[in-house]
Amino acid sequence: MAKKKNARANDEVSGDVNLSPMIDCCFLLLIFFVVNATQITVAKDPSVKIPSAVSCTDLKDAKGCIVINVYADPDKMDDKARAKFNKTFGGRADVIWSLADANGKTTGYSVNQQSELVTAITKMKDLYKNSKGEDGKPVKVRAYFRGDQNTPWERTQGAIEAAVKAGIADHVFGTRAAN
Amino acid sequence: MARHKRIETEEQGDPEMNISSLIDCCFLLLIYFLVATTLVSEKKIDMAAPATQSESNEAPPPDKASITIQSSGAVLYNNDFTVGGAISSSEFESKDYARQKGHLTQLVERLKTLRQRTKAQGAEPLVLLRCAKSVPHQRVIDVLSALAEAGISAVAVERGSVE
Repeated sequence: MAKKKNARANDEVSGDVNLSPMIDCCFLLLIFFVVNATQITVAKDPSVKIPSAVSCTDLKDAKGCIVINVYADPDKMDDKARAKFNKTFGGRADVIWSLADANGKTTGYSVNQQSELVTAITKMKDLYKNSKGEDGKPVKVRAYFRGDQNTPWERTQGAIEAAVKAGIADHVFGTRAAN
Repeated sequence: MARHKRIETEEQGDPEMNISSLIDCCFLLLIYFLVATTLVSEKKIDMAAPATQSESNEAPPPDKASITIQSSGAVLYNNDFTVGGAISSSEFESKDYARQKGHLTQLVERLKTLRQRTKAQGAEPLVLLRCAKSVPHQRVIDVLSALAEAGISAVAVERGSVE
């Protein structure tokens, strides 16, 4: 109300355009995007329900992380997750792993496609070959496993094997902090 | 600059205080905290040297420990001592699962002892992890969380047939 009054008073006196609300809005948008940009560390697939853990640490630097999603059976997912899963993989129910390529395109792999997964991980690993982190040191390539809490261990183990075959020995498991 | 001018003219004509900038600041702070608290950020557990070993029936050497997770979700320390009971996947949905059933306090204590013992010998503890194929991922994370709590990151995942 006070602002409106001021604006009216200004208009009557000088006819100047009051720019301050626009500047306010700009700052709001700026802060919104700054906050969001820093939160996005790794690509998060909502079809995967991440397990909870007591002792877990923050993922400070996502550079060099190759995210491998490990899915549960679609019938064990909730409706929203299943809908997203079906949309991403075009109704393919045999997908148990997925990996996003450099362009952000997610490809699903079935249990028989482990060798294709190894090839995809190796390709992603090669992208980081010459890149350097903020400290000037070469980027440490890590495999980031986002396993669904209900997925059977053999699927996660298959993904770990694929990462080892691709030559990645540093492994990270995605979790959420316990309430 | 435009704001400064307005304040000056108001002070000359009208002694009313301009609180609009204060309101702006408050809204900014409000929105900042709103955004910062609603986003659930993912955490991580590190696992170093997780070389997938070939199947072997040899007993681990005495300086190593082995953790077995059975398909029921029961967790065994050195193949005999039960440190975690059987679990069903419906229990994962409970809000305080990770702090209650998923928190393997007995395992943490044993692993801490192991770490102290091996550190005293000037070595790093090594843990062999054997899991049944069908055990849910959450149960393995419970064990990895216990290992992280005890300060052990060297875990070797062994391919074995655990029932």
